[in-house]
Amino acid sequence: MNKGFAEQPPSITEKTREKIAILDVSPPSYKLRRIWQRMLLGLAVLGILMATFWWLRPYQFHGIVLQSPTRATDFTLLASTGSPVRLSDFRGKLVVLFFGYTACPDICPLRLAELKQTLKLLGEPANRVQVILVTVDPLHDTVEHLQRYVSAFDPSFLGMTGSPAQINAVATQFGIFYDPAPTSAGAISHTGTITVIDADGYVRLLFPDGLSTADMAQDLAQLIR
Amino acid sequence: MPKWRWPLGQLRPMEVGYGVLALLVIVVLAFAIFQPIQVLPRIALGPGFSFVDQAGARLTNEDLRGHLVLYTFTYTGCQGDCPQTSRTLQLVQAQLEQINTRGLPVDLVTISFDPARDTPQQLAAFAHQVGADLTNWHFVTGEPAALKNVIGSSFGFYYNQAANGVFSFDPAFVLVDGVGIVRAKYRTAELDLALVQRDLELIATEARNSQGAGRLAYEAAHLFLCYPK
Repeated sequence: MNKGFAEQPPSITEKTREKIAILDVSPPSYKLRRIWQRMLLGLAVLGILMATFWWLRPYQFHGIVLQSPTRATDFTLLASTGSPVRLSDFRGKLVVLFFGYTACPDICPLRLAELKQTLKLLGEPANRVQVILVTVDPLHDTVEHLQRYVSAFDPSFLGMTGSPAQINAVATQFGIFYDPAPTSAGAISHTGTITVIDADGYVRLLFPDGLSTADMAQDLAQLIR
Repeated sequence: MPKWRWPLGQLRPMEVGYGVLALLVIVVLAFAIFQPIQVLPRIALGPGFSFVDQAGARLTNEDLRGHLVLYTFTYTGCQGDCPQTSRTLQLVQAQLEQINTRGLPVDLVTISFDPARDTPQQLAAFAHQVGADLTNWHFVTGEPAALKNVIGSSFGFYYNQAANGVFSFDPAFVLVDGVGIVRAKYRTAELDLALVQRDLELIATEARNSQGAGRLAYEAAHLFLCYPK
């Protein structure tokens, strides 16, 4: 016998059989199932795509975001610790800037208490945040006054004062209006917006009135990262 | 029951994964290139101020919160070949009702940097001279130091008084949005009205639509610098 014919022809594997079935002889129900499978797969791909989008979406700040091409103008004021301090001394930290005065009856204590709560929510990264209260009443708010006032909220808070001209220059720069003529009761109406300056010295966020402490803490955490 | 099979034939799962990623990159690129949403940049904080207007009343930046404000700077002694920014603003005011600001009020503010001569009476006379409608156009001035802080330091425009009392200055306009952020600066005396209309409408549209899922899209537009040409 010829050896060559003695060997069995290669058997058709299960896989090949299936391939042939797909090619032309698959039953209609089988085709239908495959259409379903493709549609499901399409949906799955779409789902993955949307999930990836959602997962990669940029963080949504609760405050108002600025993309300023230039750094905030530097300023020097007298800190409540007694020594002059420049804004640029705080590079590497977030500066949370608020304007007010120690005799302020309503909004200042409220917002400073909110900021204290915000830092608490922030936890450990709060040591890279510097809260600063710039007084809009430099004639009455002495350094000692300011220090006693801000440290009553949080020992890390800093007060700042200067000459009326210096205060006007800084307030103007940060979009802060304050009434140069106080009412008879001594109240000074002023803008209550909180400004956040990032670690590189750029104004990045505004916190308008009415933002929750949780939202502010989330925003700050995002900027510190 | 037939065995479940990978329905994409020759394509393997990893390849599909790469495909999804590529599609993602394409969508993001397309957003950045074709800019389906355009925004004006949030350039800087607008100044805080307290000035006195042509009626002797106080005007502050807080009074203008929630309004779109177009600022310009001049002095009423600005005659002859001095840049006539108020004439330009008068044209803007005449065109305002054709601009769809989606219900947002628009205010015009002319700041005089010559408080010594531009008293409220003088400003009122000047307003009359340029044909201003004073319902939404304010002529203001203030302390010299405050003016320098606002116009010079904050808005960033030069002006200087020579010994003979004549001012030299950069003719300019600044557009500030409802939350007090500078959105556009125009360094010219003759503003392109079509440009101002486009910019006002862009800010107004963003203010109206930037909520919920819309906000995500608008913030993405800011992130990808989808600024108009």
